Amino acid sequence: MNLGVRRTLDRVFTGLAGASIVLLTLVLIAVLGPMVYRGSSAVLFQGTVEFRKMQRDLFRRADRTALAAEIAETDQARQVVYEMIDRFRKGIDIEAMSSEARQINREYGRELRHNDASADEYTEAREVARTIRDLLQEAFRSQDIELIRRNVAEVLARKDEARFTGTVAERYFVMAADFLEAAEHIDLSHYHDYLVALDEVEVILFGSIERPGLLGPRPNQAARPLAMSSYGATRWDQAQALLDRLLWAERWVEQEPGQPLVKQRSPRAELFHDTALEPLFTYVPQNLNEMLRPRFTVYWQFFLDDNFDSHYFGGVGPELLGTLLITVLGMLFVIPLGVISAAYLVECASEGPAMRILRMSINTLAGVPSIVFGLFGLAFFVLFLFPKLGFEPKACILAASLTLAVLTLPVMIRASEEAIRTVPRSYKEGSLALGASKFRTFVIVTFPAALPGILTGVILSLSRIAGETAPILFTGAVSMGPIPKSIFDPTRTLSYGSYDMAVGDRLAMMVPHNQYGMVVTLILLILVLNALAVVLRSRVFKKLKGH
Amino acid sequence: MEKLLIIAVVLSLVTGMAVQAETLQIDGSTTVGPIADAFAEYFKKVYPDLDITVKKTGSGDGAAALVDGRCDIATMSRFMKDKEFKDAVANNVVPVAHVVAIDGVCVVVHPSNPVSALTRAQIRDIYAGKITNWSHVGGPSLPIVVISRDTSSGTYETFESLVMAKQAMGSGVEYVNANPQAHARVKTTQGAIGYVGIGFLDKDVKAVKVDQVAPSRQTIVTGVYPVARPLFLFTNGYPKLGSVVHKFCTFYLTEKGQELVEAKGFIPLTAY
Amino acid sequence: MDSESPTLTLGPTAERRPARGGLALTPGEDLLGFVGSYLGRALLFLITGTSVLAVLLILFFVVARSIPFFRDFGIGEFLTSQSWRPTADEPTFGALTLIVGSLYVSIAALLFAVPVGILAAVFLSDIVSWKIRDIVKPVVEILAAIPSVAYGFFAVLVLAPWMQSQFGFSTGTNALNASVILAVMALPTIISVAEDAISALGRELREASYSLGATRLETMVKVVIPAAHSGIIAAVVLGMMRAIGETMVVWMASGNATQIPHPWWDLSQSIRTMTATIAGEMGEAPEGMPHRSALFAVGVVLLLMTFVLNIVSEYFLSRARKATGKS
Repeated sequence: MNLGVRRTLDRVFTGLAGASIVLLTLVLIAVLGPMVYRGSSAVLFQGTVEFRKMQRDLFRRADRTALAAEIAETDQARQVVYEMIDRFRKGIDIEAMSSEARQINREYGRELRHNDASADEYTEAREVARTIRDLLQEAFRSQDIELIRRNVAEVLARKDEARFTGTVAERYFVMAADFLEAAEHIDLSHYHDYLVALDEVEVILFGSIERPGLLGPRPNQAARPLAMSSYGATRWDQAQALLDRLLWAERWVEQEPGQPLVKQRSPRAELFHDTALEPLFTYVPQNLNEMLRPRFTVYWQFFLDDNFDSHYFGGVGPELLGTLLITVLGMLFVIPLGVISAAYLVECASEGPAMRILRMSINTLAGVPSIVFGLFGLAFFVLFLFPKLGFEPKACILAASLTLAVLTLPVMIRASEEAIRTVPRSYKEGSLALGASKFRTFVIVTFPAALPGILTGVILSLSRIAGETAPILFTGAVSMGPIPKSIFDPTRTLSYGSYDMAVGDRLAMMVPHNQYGMVVTLILLILVLNALAVVLRSRVFKKLKGH
Repeated sequence: MEKLLIIAVVLSLVTGMAVQAETLQIDGSTTVGPIADAFAEYFKKVYPDLDITVKKTGSGDGAAALVDGRCDIATMSRFMKDKEFKDAVANNVVPVAHVVAIDGVCVVVHPSNPVSALTRAQIRDIYAGKITNWSHVGGPSLPIVVISRDTSSGTYETFESLVMAKQAMGSGVEYVNANPQAHARVKTTQGAIGYVGIGFLDKDVKAVKVDQVAPSRQTIVTGVYPVARPLFLFTNGYPKLGSVVHKFCTFYLTEKGQELVEAKGFIPLTAY
Repeated sequence: MDSESPTLTLGPTAERRPARGGLALTPGEDLLGFVGSYLGRALLFLITGTSVLAVLLILFFVVARSIPFFRDFGIGEFLTSQSWRPTADEPTFGALTLIVGSLYVSIAALLFAVPVGILAAVFLSDIVSWKIRDIVKPVVEILAAIPSVAYGFFAVLVLAPWMQSQFGFSTGTNALNASVILAVMALPTIISVAEDAISALGRELREASYSLGATRLETMVKVVIPAAHSGIIAAVVLGMMRAIGETMVVWMASGNATQIPHPWWDLSQSIRTMTATIAGEMGEAPEGMPHRSALFAVGVVLLLMTFVLNIVSEYFLSRARKATGKS
C-alpha cells in the first residue's frame, strides 16, 4: 500500500478514536444537559409574590412588613381585574342576577319594617318593589333588546322616588343600569356561551380546586383544600404559560377531511368582542408585572425543605437526608465486608474449582434484576432475620442498607479482588522477606497499594447504593412519612422519590422543575460523594509518598 | 471491624433515644397512593404527634403487607382476590373493604385525532390487534400505536374486564407502568390510543366517548360511563371506633375528605 | 503463592495496632501469634463466609421461588411459547418473546457500544498523553455514576419524542431507544476493561511494530488488538451482562410489547425484556399465585444466561492474564 494512503488511513483512525470520546462527551451533555437545565430551575427562577406568600404560609419564611406592602400593591393592581369580571358577570349571569333581585326585595321589606313605616306606606312600597323585581326578572330572562330597554327604563324612572333613597333598593337601579349596558353590547342569544367562556377565563385566572390559576383564589373566595391551588402562579414561567392560555384559545380543527386535525390558535379576546370584558385581555398582559412582581429568586432551601402536596411546593430535604443515611450505612456494611472478603479470597483461599464456581456465582448476581433484591431483602432481613434478632419486622433504613449492601457486595468484592491481585508480587515478597507477618504485609503493603482500585470499587458501589430504587421499594422507602428518628424507621429517598413522582401523581406532572430538581439533586449527591472518594484517594497517595 | 463496633454503639444510642409515637402505616396501590398522600398530609396537620407513612408498592404487595401485619391500611385499586382472602384468613386477618373514591378509566387519543367516539367493540378490536389503522374507525390513514398499562395493574384489570371482555390483547400492544407515562406517550404520539385515570385528562390528550358516553364526574358516578371502578382501603377487621385507622378510613365521608379526593383527580362517592 | 501455607503470625495484637510499628518481628507477637493465627483466620473466614453466603442466598431465593412454577407448568411451553398472558383466566406463561427480547436489545446495544468502546479505549491508552487522559477519564466515570432513573427519564422524555419526529417512527419507545441507552450504560464497563487489556500489553509489542515502520492504525489493528483480544472479548461480554441485567431503563424505554420484531432487523418496534417483565409485574402479582413464581422462573433463566456469559468472560479473562503474563 502506498504511504500516503496509509498515512491518511492512520489519520482517519486517530480522528475516529478522538470522535468516539467526543461522542461520549456529547452523550453525557445530552443526557445531563436538559436534566440539569430543567432541574436547576427548581432552585433558580423568577419567583412571584405568590411564591413569597406561599413561603410565608407554609414555611414561615418572609420579611413580613415588606411582603405586606407588596401584597397591598399587587392587590390594588388586581382589583381592576376583579371589577371587570364582576361587571361582566352581572350582565350575563341570569341566575345570579335574579336571585340578587329577590334578595334586594326581601331585604327592602325587612328594612321597611325596621323603620316603622306606616301600614299604607309599607304596602305601597312593597308593591312597587315587587313590580321592579318582576320587571327586572323579565328583562333578565328576555332575549329581546326592545323589551329590556323598556323594562329597564320603567325601573330607572322610579330611581329618584324619595322612598328608595338611602335604602337597599338603590342597588336595583345600579343593577338595572349595569345590565342594560351589558345587554346593549352582547349578543343576547349567546348568554350561555358567554357564561361558559367566562368560567374558563375565571379558572385560568383564579384556579379551581384541581389546578392553580394565574392570580390565585380571589380574596373572598372559600379556602381550597390543597395548598397547590391556594396560590397563583408562583413562578414567572408558570405565569407566562397561564397568560398564554388566557390570551389564546386553542382548538383542533379539520383542514382536510381524512387528515389529522390541526391546532389553531385564536385570540380569546375575540370571544368577548365589544363587551365589558374585552379590556381585560389588554389589561392583564400589560399589568401582569404589577400583579405578580416577579423577582429573581435563589431558593437554596430546596435542599432542606419538606414538601407539600406530593412535591408541588417545597423541596427535597427529607429525601436528601434519607438517601445520605442509607448510602452511608450501606457503605459501612459494604466496604469492610467487601475488602475483607476480597482479601481472604485472594490471599488465603486456595485457588481451585470450588473458588471459581464461587466467584462465578458472585458475578452472576449482576443478572439479577434489582427488584428481586428488594423481595429478597423483605423476605430475608425484614420478615426472617429481624424477628430473630428481636427487632420489629418492618421496613426500615437498616433493612434497606443491608439489602443494598448485598446488591453491591459483588461489585465491591470483584473490584477489591482485582485491585489486590494486581499489586506486584515483588512488593509482598519484599515485605515477607523482611519477616513481616502475612497479615501485616497485607495491611502495610498490599492494602495501600491496592487502595486506588478499592476506591474505584467504592465509587461504583456508592453510585449504585444511592441511585437504586427497586431494592428499597420493599425494604425501607416510603413516599410520605416523618423524618426518621432511628435506623429502625423507614425513610424517604431521592431515588424512590423521583420514581414516585414519575409514576404516581397528576400533581407531579404539573411541576416538572421539581421532578427534575429531585433527579438532579440525586446526581449531584452522587457526584459529590464520588468527588470525596477521589479526594480521599489523592490524599492517601500523598500520605504514601510521605512515608 | 472498628467501624462495625462504632455503628453498633451509635445504633444502640439512636434506638434508645427513639420515642415510640403512635404510627399509621399505609401500603399498596400506586393509583390510590395520591389519595392516601393527601389524607396523610391532612392528618399530619391535625394530629402532629402521629407518624404516618405511605408506601406505593402495588396492590398485590399492599394485600400481602396487610396479611403479614406490615401495614395498618392497604390501599388497593382492585378488590382482593380469593387467594389473598384465604391467605389473610389463614393468618387471622379479616380484610374489610372501604370504598374511598371512584376512578374513571378514560380512553384517550392525540388531540389531532378527529375520532371522538368509539364503541367498546371497536376499542376491543384495536387492543386485540384486529384494527391497526385509524382509517378503519373513521380517522385519518395512520397506524395505531396501542398503549396499555402493565398487565398486573388494577387499571389494566378494570380495562380488561370492562372493555376487553376477556379477549387477549394483541402482541403489538405497548405497556407503560403508570398513568403519567401513558399520558406522556399519547401526548407525544400522533397515532396513539391509551387509557388513563380521569384525573389525567387535560388539553394535551383527548378523551373519546365510549359507547356514546363522554367521561365526566356525572356519568362515572352514576355508572353510565362503562369503564369505571371503585378504589379501596382494606383494614384488618372493621377499625376500632375512634382509632386513627377508623378516622382515616371514614375521612372520605367528610366534606374535606371529598374535596381532597376531587383535588387529586378522582371522583368522590357522594355529591357534597 | 496462594497455595502457600500461613507460616507467619496473624494475631489479635497485630490486628489492633496495624500500621504503626516497624516491619521487624518481635518475639512476643510471634508467641501470641501462634495462638491467634488460627483464631484470626477463623474470624476472617467467618466474615468472608457471611458476605458470600448473603450473596449465595439470593441465588437460592430466586431458584427456590421458581420451583412451584416448574413443578406445575413444566419447562417446555415456558421456553417455546410466545404467549405471555399471566393474568388471563387461563394463564399462559410463554417466555420466548421475553428471552428473545433481552438478547435482542443487548446485542443491538453491543453493536453500538463495542466499536465506540474499543476506539475510546485505544484513544485513552495509545493516543493521548496522561494529562489529557486524566481529563477524559472522568467523563466515562460520570457516565457510570448517573443513576438509571435519570437514563430512564432521558429515554422517555427526550429520546422517544425525538426519534418519532426525526425518523418518523410510529413509536419512540422501541428496541432502538432501549439499545442506545443500554449502549451508553454498558460503555463505561467496556471502555475500562478493554483499556486495561490494551495497556497491559506493554511497550515491547508496540515498539517492535513501530520500529518496523507500521503506522499507529496498523499497529493497533494488526498487533495490539489481536494480542489483547481475550481482554477485549471479556470486556464485550461484561458489557453484555450489564445490558442484560439492566431493569428500570429497559422498562421505560423499550415499550414492553410482547412480540418478536418482524422483520427481525426492524429496531423501530417495541420489545419486552425479561428484567422489565419482572420489574413491571412483580409488585402487583399476588403472593402464592403461579404468576409470581413464573416471574421467578424468568429470573432463573436470566441467571443462567448471566452465568453462561460469566463463564465465557472468565475464560477469556484468564486467557488474557496468561497472555500478558507470558509477554
